[in-house]
Amino acid sequence: MHSDDSPLILLRVEDEQINPAIILADNLMRRPAERLLTVEEIEGAENILTIGTQEVEAIESHRKAFLKTLPSAVDYIPVGF
Amino acid sequence: MTGLALKASKNAKGSTFFGERLVRSLEYLRFKARSHNAVYACETVSRIVSEQHKYRLYMEMFPKEWERSTKSLYEAGHFKAYSERTNEFFQLVNDKCFPLLEYWHDDPDFELDRFAIPPMNFDLCCEEIDFANLRVSYLAGLMFYFVDDDEIWTYFSEKYGVDKGAFPPIKASSHANVWRERQKPMLRPYSDLIRLVDHSTGNPWLDITNCQYSEYFEWDKKTIDWLTETYRNANQYFKNLEELDERIEEDAQAFLFELISFWNTGMIESGHIKQ
Repeated sequence: MHSDDSPLILLRVEDEQINPAIILADNLMRRPAERLLTVEEIEGAENILTIGTQEVEAIESHRKAFLKTLPSAVDYIPVGF
Repeated sequence: MTGLALKASKNAKGSTFFGERLVRSLEYLRFKARSHNAVYACETVSRIVSEQHKYRLYMEMFPKEWERSTKSLYEAGHFKAYSERTNEFFQLVNDKCFPLLEYWHDDPDFELDRFAIPPMNFDLCCEEIDFANLRVSYLAGLMFYFVDDDEIWTYFSEKYGVDKGAFPPIKASSHANVWRERQKPMLRPYSDLIRLVDHSTGNPWLDITNCQYSEYFEWDKKTIDWLTETYRNANQYFKNLEELDERIEEDAQAFLFELISFWNTGMIESGHIKQ
């Protein structure tokens, strides 16, 4: 990956993954509450929560940066227009 | 309560019954409808971990109650952010350990992950002093903080016939020995009284006031045990005041003389009251 790669190339090389908090939340919601989490499971959940929250924050900062980006005209008509 | 819930609560313990399973499924569906929202997923993980932590604490602190409980682990209780089972735990802490659900915590929308405790002591900075509602021994302790205010002396004069002029003048600041941790048994009641009035007992129930920022506590065994013990000690402080009240009723002049002597010199001087 080079700094002069196009945004599309940059996006393509990114790992494709779902926020791990979504997967964990689904697992926890399926699990019977009376089966209490072990100390290790709680620690694991807290780690995933940190990663998931960081990802949410990163996306939010990208979104803000994107909204600040000035629009520029393209020299062709996109497909569908 | 629905018929299903009633059936669930009447059945034998330990199994998951239809009513409870239905509530659990509905909770899951509610979650599933929003499950691809990462922010909501983080909130869900955080809420489940926090609730699980409280269940574990419930089991550890009240194993018999946990064993026979039929309260739902899924359905929201009085405090809506928590299940009926967690609400039951809050109630047990309130009934058996210390007052948790009084004072600030009366709003069902309130989140109790971090909780404050109500002050038990008299608030010197913003409460009106109502002599009739205070213990006389506490009022005697207030003399050191309202030196220029003769109202307390007037009260003692009218009730016990003592005269301010018959006592040594109260020094502006106390003797250092007043605050010593170790006190002789004879001095301990006076030291405890002054510490109580000064809000310097080291006991959170007695030292916090309404005017300062609330101190928040978290749900761990060590904190709950500490608050339980300090709450018991705080009540003992007030119990001790009853004994001091009795001594004032017996001989207000001797009591006040000893108390002022302790404040001024850090000891109880034997001697006669100025006539």
